[in-house]
Amino acid sequence: MKDELARRLVQSLKDAGINFVTYLPETRLSQILPLIRDDPAMELIAVANESEAVTIAAGATLAGKQAAVYMENTGIYVASYSLLAVGKQLGVPLLLVVAYLGGVPDLRNSFLYATIGKHSVPVLDGLGIDHRLVEDGEKLEVKVKDAVRAANALRAPYALLFAGEFSE
Amino acid sequence: MIRYECLQMLASKMSNQLVVTSQSGQRIEWSHLSRHEGNLLLGMMGCAIGVATGLALALPHRKVIAIDSDGSVLLSLFNLATLGNLQPKNLLIYVFDNGVYSGSRISYPTATSGNTDLAAMAQAAGIKTAQTIRAFEEFKKVGIAALDKDELGFYVCKVDESLMHREIARPNIDLAENKYTFVRYLERTEEKPIPFVGRG
Repeated sequence: MKDELARRLVQSLKDAGINFVTYLPETRLSQILPLIRDDPAMELIAVANESEAVTIAAGATLAGKQAAVYMENTGIYVASYSLLAVGKQLGVPLLLVVAYLGGVPDLRNSFLYATIGKHSVPVLDGLGIDHRLVEDGEKLEVKVKDAVRAANALRAPYALLFAGEFSE
Repeated sequence: MIRYECLQMLASKMSNQLVVTSQSGQRIEWSHLSRHEGNLLLGMMGCAIGVATGLALALPHRKVIAIDSDGSVLLSLFNLATLGNLQPKNLLIYVFDNGVYSGSRISYPTATSGNTDLAAMAQAAGIKTAQTIRAFEEFKKVGIAALDKDELGFYVCKVDESLMHREIARPNIDLAENKYTFVRYLERTEEKPIPFVGRG
């Protein structure tokens, strides 16, 4: 991902009200991490497992934060229990910022990712988590804001799947 | 040591603390002992410490208590490494460790009835105040005193298996109702709106 796109993504999160981010780093979107870390308006929390990225972000949301969870799409599989048990069952809005590895629009796709990545959308559908694919920077700010609004309205996690230019 | 007696003692000390319980016997017992609006009774295992951590990070001036079980902590051991580094000073965790999956009704053993020592694991993960409590007198002295400490605490309370939670009424508050009661309580006591609740 080009630095300018990373900067726009972080600014979009901030403009959408995101002020608390839990994360497990990965390869496609990781340039956003130092930008979030250096922004005093956003709290960045490192975790050991995507499952607790979800539960910690959920706790912060209940306390008044607008939280995002940044993870690789394999994290959706790891966190599916928490996404159901806390995100869906309790009804807590969370923006899932997901690097979509192994999908057709992943510009760095390979045999390492494809078999696993192709299940991401069916798994999100199975979990009942709404999602949107973002492949370029067109209307990025609007798409992030729409996603946060949708999560709050649904009282549920909402996933943005980043691929295309974000996987360069 | 009997969990219900520990919870009874703990409930008598509650004022404005926030309490998160995981699913299992202690959820039923705590809801029976405390009707406080600051209680969040989660419906599944393995999520209470994470949610309590998020609350503690977002509200660093409030004491947040997680009431959990051995089976539940074993399901989310990654929490220990994360907490060992985050060190939220306002988070206090009680793990009521009966050594069995009591909710399964066949009470098969958990790993803590074998060689696994959760307090030692927590210490090795970086949680400095992590210890095992084995007697009610010790719980009254050490466990209750932890409420007034300004540090991350992880107390593994070794309890006998008790079927008390099957004899008392289960909570009749559903998860959504509990969530909104909890959030409205926070709005009132923190004097700020919780954004996601929003307006219809």
